[in-house]
Amino acid sequence: MFGFDFFRRKKSAAVAKDRLTIAIMSDRDRTNAYPFMDAMKAEIIEVVKKYVGVKGVEITKEVDGELEALSIDVELDGNTKVP
Amino acid sequence: MGIVIAVISGKGGVGKTTATANLGLGIGLNEKKCVVVDFDIGQRNLDMILGLENRVVYDMVQVMDEEATVQQALIKSKVSENLFFLAASQSKDKSVLKSEKVQKLINSLKKDFDFVILDAPAGIESGYEHTIEFADAAIVVVNPEVSSIRDADRAIGILDSKSDKVKNGEEVAKYLIINRIVADMVESGEMLKSDDILEILNIKLLGKVPEDKGVIDASNQGKPVILDKKSIAGQAYIRIAGRLCGQQVDMKDVEISDSGLFKRIVGMFR
Repeated sequence: MFGFDFFRRKKSAAVAKDRLTIAIMSDRDRTNAYPFMDAMKAEIIEVVKKYVGVKGVEITKEVDGELEALSIDVELDGNTKVP
Repeated sequence: MGIVIAVISGKGGVGKTTATANLGLGIGLNEKKCVVVDFDIGQRNLDMILGLENRVVYDMVQVMDEEATVQQALIKSKVSENLFFLAASQSKDKSVLKSEKVQKLINSLKKDFDFVILDAPAGIESGYEHTIEFADAAIVVVNPEVSSIRDADRAIGILDSKSDKVKNGEEVAKYLIINRIVADMVESGEMLKSDDILEILNIKLLGKVPEDKGVIDASNQGKPVILDKKSIAGQAYIRIAGRLCGQQVDMKDVEISDSGLFKRIVGMFR
């Protein structure tokens, strides 16, 4: 059918490139996870705890092209008020 | 001192052993001394591709265990005076490989040969790690196909973290061979282009090898395809071996089919 054919225009090599780029990025992320991540988390909790109550810390590695960043999320303990 | 090159792929069946045999022979034909070592313990195959399976007396594990000398175990190629071959052990398994013994073997080969080429086993297990451990450089072989490329990336990741050179703060040079390219499919957008593969893997190109039925015919006979002057894959290996020996060889574009080339030439006169 005409319509069906029209939507199939994206060539499979382009699909392969997109899928591979994503799969390899997440493979690399998993294998490059820093071994010191847990120790670093514990230390961050200790530091933040001096000032406010902390429930937990989540560190994620983000990669955007050449740029790599660590994003650190600190979940505060609801019982303590942030001044 | 020679250079030690590991031929790796991650995924099996992409043409690693064929590449090893042909590059070894190509280097030999360029008047450089070369030894190819089969590191695929328990699944010996390089002997068949080189047509030397009847000449194997001692294997590399026996050399490492000092049951035979390197000189006793080296087998000379029938075609080139400069190419020698060291067989994998067929009876043992990869757990026999130990770092110190591997290093000792490689160091002794480096003294006598310009090129020491190690044919890695498929996968990323201990046998693979021992193959890359003392390599100066790696040749990564892929097919233009998703599973091969993804597995190659994993193998490269291990190379970049576990090789001796990297542990000493140096870099292992890495080069890519794209094998089994079908020009028609690349042109019609049904097969990944080499530029895309290089971008995804972030690696330098060593050469492109087109799909060629002659490769199976060559392995049937135990005569590497590089000896078949009419074979397009053989010609590709001649170019790659030349590059490895330091010659400036242009990248022939095997991604353009003859009809595609004709269209381009016609296009020039429009």
